[in-house]
Amino acid sequence: MKKALLAAVLAVFATPALAQQAQSPAQRLDALDKRITRLEDMNAVERVQRAYGYFVDKGQWTQLSELFADDATLEIGGRGIFVGRKRVLEYMHGAFGPDGPKEGLLAQHMQFQPIVDISPDGKTAWVRSRAFVMSVGGWGLPLYEDEFTKEGGVWKFKRESGPFTMYTSWKGWGHDALNNTWPDKFDPPPDLPPSTVYLTYPAYWIVPFHYPNPVTGKPFPVDPVGAYHRPPGTPEQAAAREAGKLADGTQAIAEPPRN
Amino acid sequence: MRRALLAFAALAVTVPAHAQSLEQRIAAYRHRVSLLEDQDAIENLQATYGYYFDKGLWDQAADLFAADGSFEYGQRGVYIGVPHIRRAMLLFGPQGLAAGHLNNHMQLQAVITVADDGLSARARWQGMIMLAEPGQNGVWGVGVYENEYVKQKGIWKIAKLHFYVTAKTDYDLGWTKSAIPMDGPSALFPPDRPPSEVYRSFPGAYIPPFDYRNPVTGKSLADIPEPTDDVVGRK
Repeated sequence: MKKALLAAVLAVFATPALAQQAQSPAQRLDALDKRITRLEDMNAVERVQRAYGYFVDKGQWTQLSELFADDATLEIGGRGIFVGRKRVLEYMHGAFGPDGPKEGLLAQHMQFQPIVDISPDGKTAWVRSRAFVMSVGGWGLPLYEDEFTKEGGVWKFKRESGPFTMYTSWKGWGHDALNNTWPDKFDPPPDLPPSTVYLTYPAYWIVPFHYPNPVTGKPFPVDPVGAYHRPPGTPEQAAAREAGKLADGTQAIAEPPRN
Repeated sequence: MRRALLAFAALAVTVPAHAQSLEQRIAAYRHRVSLLEDQDAIENLQATYGYYFDKGLWDQAADLFAADGSFEYGQRGVYIGVPHIRRAMLLFGPQGLAAGHLNNHMQLQAVITVADDGLSARARWQGMIMLAEPGQNGVWGVGVYENEYVKQKGIWKIAKLHFYVTAKTDYDLGWTKSAIPMDGPSALFPPDRPPSEVYRSFPGAYIPPFDYRNPVTGKSLADIPEPTDDVVGRK
């Protein structure tokens, strides 16, 4: 995104005045169109992520599944990867029952703090955001690193990745913490195993950022990513650092914008 | 917003940018930027309402409404017009938050739809609540706003604020042991109209109606079925 921004800045602002004058009015309007489209796209992507949250709140699984592209993937907690819109719906129906809210059930998944980036070609978007869960089961903190695709002018989920930061009972995280990430205690089974093995609070895993530091422009550091459960410097911590990576050594989940 | 996008998508498809005159293109882009600015203005307006309401600044909060605006909170009924809205808010406490009170009403997760003419808008908001008063336990709550806005002389105002409180619980007990019901209409200062919808908060199941369409399919969400409720009598 940083690069995209730089490119846009170079194209629109930093171009020497002479060169800008050399651009035809139509070319300058083309550049303006791109900037307006990017702002509209950012709003549209946020809207899809927020609509997702409101559908979760009220158990609208069919509507929710329609926010996904045909070949989209879904990975929540540590439950493995579900491939395709139909499997997204199966996952939701299997885990949470038929469409509609139920008497005595509260499962608020409030969608906060989105950071949206659009690819330079305007066809792909990424969101880092969080859900704050207030439910009959207690409190929860999923984090999202999601990817969106623009198909026919409409933004859809291409990949939803929702690893958990913390889950606890109503008594709170000072009292207990639930490791809510087992793939084996959940039905239906996933199409693919989890992309990442990690631990939730009181351990932590830094979900890779899809975007670089917005001030320095430095990419998210590859190294300290891991499910730390021992103090830094211990062999256990060193081993746990590898837990947040794929077998080929790359990080799972987040894909930074390319080019 | 979706309609606006569709309209422009259609425009772009039928009239390629290079086939439009420069004046047509400038006019279209000005319109798109206006809609973006409108969305930001509405987001700021609603956030401001929240900051005022948190601190019992009823005079200031009521001034955010259009002259014929309406205010409806849970099952308290509908108050119409700025003077009535101000008094309705006084039912929550004195102007300025009283000592030992916490009245946080967060305004989050906006889905804003600005009409293509840029003169009206609708929005859904997530309304998390944290309450406290002296001698009582703290309260957690949550609800949904479904609001309408109007632009008058270039200024966005709240035309209709409807806060559907959907759940409140005791801070220590939590949802499995405590469900605090909503307040009904005040006898001291009755509303201008009864509640526009009768529903139960938690443990009742209820879906505040959606003003927007599914952002991907474009389908209306108006026909999403409401769960039945034996107490309210909804079948």
